[in-house]
Amino acid sequence: MHEIIQITWGAIVSFILAFTVGITYMGLNRKITARIQNRIGPPWYQNFIDVIKLGSKQTSIHHGVMQHMGPAFIMVTSVMSLLIIPILNQNRFFPNLNFHGDLVFLLYIMVFGPLGMALGAGQTGNPNSAIGVTRGLSQMAGFEIPWVMALVALMIQYKTTSIVDLMNIQVETGKWLMFSSPFAFLAALLAMLGMFRYAPFDIVGAPQELASGPMSENGGKYLFVMMSAGSVFAFAKLTLYVDLFMGGANNLIILVVKTFSLYLFPMLYGIVSPRYRTEQSVRYFWGWPSLFGLLAILHAMFF
Amino acid sequence: MIYILFSILLGGAILTFLANKISGLLRDTFFLLTMLGATLIFYTQLHIGGLVNFSIGSFNLEWGVNSFSWYFSLIVLGLGTLAAFYALSYMKGKENLGFFYFSFLISILSMLGIVMSHDLISFFIFWEMMTWSSYFMVIYSGKNVQKNGINYILFSAFGAYAMLTAIALVYANIHSLSIVEMISNYGQFSPALQTWIPILFLMAFSVKAAMMPLHVWAPGAYSDSPMAYTSVFSGALSKMGIYGMILIFVTMISHLPDDTWFREVFAWLGAITAIMGTLWAIAQDDARKLLAYSSVAQLGYIITGVAIGTDLAMLSALFLAALHALFKGTLFMAVGAVERQTGTVKFSEVTGLIRKMPWTFIASLLAIIALAGIPPLGGFVGKWMLYESLINSNHYILVIAIFFASTSAFLYCYKFLFGFFLGQEEKEWAHVKEAPALMVVPMLLMAGFLVILGTFPGILLKPADTAMQTLGFAPTEGHLWSMSVLFNAWGDQVLLRPLVYAIAGIFLFFLIILTVKGWKNTRYVTTKDISSSGEVPLEHENLTFSVNFYQPFLRAVGPVMKHRMITWYREFGAGMETIFDFTRRIYTGNGQTYAIYVMVFLVIILLLQNTIFG
Repeated sequence: MHEIIQITWGAIVSFILAFTVGITYMGLNRKITARIQNRIGPPWYQNFIDVIKLGSKQTSIHHGVMQHMGPAFIMVTSVMSLLIIPILNQNRFFPNLNFHGDLVFLLYIMVFGPLGMALGAGQTGNPNSAIGVTRGLSQMAGFEIPWVMALVALMIQYKTTSIVDLMNIQVETGKWLMFSSPFAFLAALLAMLGMFRYAPFDIVGAPQELASGPMSENGGKYLFVMMSAGSVFAFAKLTLYVDLFMGGANNLIILVVKTFSLYLFPMLYGIVSPRYRTEQSVRYFWGWPSLFGLLAILHAMFF
Repeated sequence: MIYILFSILLGGAILTFLANKISGLLRDTFFLLTMLGATLIFYTQLHIGGLVNFSIGSFNLEWGVNSFSWYFSLIVLGLGTLAAFYALSYMKGKENLGFFYFSFLISILSMLGIVMSHDLISFFIFWEMMTWSSYFMVIYSGKNVQKNGINYILFSAFGAYAMLTAIALVYANIHSLSIVEMISNYGQFSPALQTWIPILFLMAFSVKAAMMPLHVWAPGAYSDSPMAYTSVFSGALSKMGIYGMILIFVTMISHLPDDTWFREVFAWLGAITAIMGTLWAIAQDDARKLLAYSSVAQLGYIITGVAIGTDLAMLSALFLAALHALFKGTLFMAVGAVERQTGTVKFSEVTGLIRKMPWTFIASLLAIIALAGIPPLGGFVGKWMLYESLINSNHYILVIAIFFASTSAFLYCYKFLFGFFLGQEEKEWAHVKEAPALMVVPMLLMAGFLVILGTFPGILLKPADTAMQTLGFAPTEGHLWSMSVLFNAWGDQVLLRPLVYAIAGIFLFFLIILTVKGWKNTRYVTTKDISSSGEVPLEHENLTFSVNFYQPFLRAVGPVMKHRMITWYREFGAGMETIFDFTRRIYTGNGQTYAIYVMVFLVIILLLQNTIFG
């Protein structure tokens, strides 16, 4: 019983942290994008205002049970990955559910939510939702390949499927994995572009084209939950990358510095890029990123 | 007891067939009683290790049950019984029902016969019975007999000849047809025979397991059979191929000095089957075809597991085999339910059934989650064990291939659910009602079992483990759980179950928040009440997106899908026809031409008489 309470507290605290940081990053993204495009842009806390507004709005319609459950599905992915990914080194302050082999579990739990939300989006009957979903799934089949290659390379090289073990190795040797397995890092970094869905890979939401894709027909409380889930998940993903490749973090300030510098990559890459078509996006991930993934596996097998 | 089991099934089949002439009720009763009786006897009276033997002529036939065959009988009888209930309702009002039920029971009988045979003669006879009874099902509808029926029977015949050759080779060498003796004498065969006998057997089994490049019959045959039988066809009958493969791999291939390349080739064939099956499944508009290709792909995973052959790989193959029977059985039944209620199985024709057929939707949803291998359902456990075994046995590129197939599987999974159940609700389908309880309950039972397996996989893993010990794998009693990281100490004292509970807890928590907040104000509106491009669609406008669903993805993988096995076979067939055509020009069927041949022959003889007769 004591453990359950501890885990629940850990979940709540890390949720609040991830929510705050994630939303701030989204706001900073808007600000930075605006400054690069020579606009003034909204203040960095604009996304807080948006979320609070959505949360306090009254929702009057839904299109059925699946749509109603969709945001809950996506929340499962966000919170579960937050629970499995260690936030600080040696599980400091944030107790969680990690175990040997959480890498594979994470791969699958990361698609649980999007698929559940896709079902919800499907029930709205809006054609844009379904088109967005098919694009999203196609793109996922694309970027999962280099991503899995990178993870398999790490698994071979360090003979473990546990995130905590990989972090401990970095702490013990004092060398970040992005230097000791550079190809895996490259493959994972390029796969991250697809995960964050910023341009040129923003084919799912596709502003001006699909009218926000799977999100359309969702408003008020539904959009509120989705947006929170999105920002929590963004933070979880960034933390995972920091844990795997950048030696984890000993305290929250280092964590924020590392995650934000990592976050700059998909953001800045996106600002200067136009949008790919779906098949171009899919093929992109099967090109250079997968080649790096293959090199990573070879590197891990023979060195 | 085995006699009684077989006579019940055979007698029941004949009685059912005859009762059809008298009354429908009598026929249904006989059918159900036979199925239930057989299942009951199997579970209560049959003992593992029991043997019966008798002689016909000079051949000694031997039947028996061991833990390995028991595991497969579990799949056959479990799925068979549920499918039988389903069939009663699904087949109501169709023609030739006596014929259908007869073939159904005979194919159940032959599958049980295959796993219980201890000699090659009865194995072969039951194998052929299985082929023929399923062939009757493929041509039952009377559509595409020329195409799909011929395809199926041709490939099956090819497999059967390969098996017969192998059996003849074995008999010529050891003068015995007992499977046990074949295995024990295997070491004394000449090296050439040692390679050829397993290859011939594996050819026969690959045909039934629909492995590339022998899978060509599968999509047509699966989709042409009545859905009540297809669930057995894809769920259980294809597993007979797996049963044979496991036997061959464990008892023969592992004794070969150079078994590694053998295993690699088969593992890769399995992976390619999985990838290509998945890609083709994505391209289908017909739900039956989609599931058929998906079956081919899923069998690919199992073949890979069998071919790798480590303890964990074999365990995952056995687990996935039972799991595939469960979820594919459910899905084919769901398609049958949709087909019966709406009259079509095309995704582009029927949409928005979720509110009309909610139970079918729930069953399909659970089956799809298991198929995709997403936690917390049983599929995840099977997939996990497969990945882990591949990584532990240093098959890294194979892991990527399998992972690609299973990620791409999400695409057709979503297509299946979206195509039938989601999208805009149309007036055309407003009359559709949920399928009868007799069809829905078997689906829900199997789907429920999949949920339970996600948290308690031991229910199936224990019998699978016992089955493996029969095959000579090391006993893992007591430490079955230490084979995979999934089951042993999960790092920080966490087990699989807490994770499942966590998932359920988080889901419920947010669902309650969503529901409670603004409970009174939120109301349901139809799917026509949406805004698309700033306009609200009219009542008759259907905006559902279902044609060319994954076109961009298919464009991206286009180069891979350009080559099809079927074209190769067609060209091979055309080439053969040219040869036959040439022969036909010699044998014209015209008496005068033959007279000329005789004359020419005589002239040649006369001219060369000195040389020939000296």
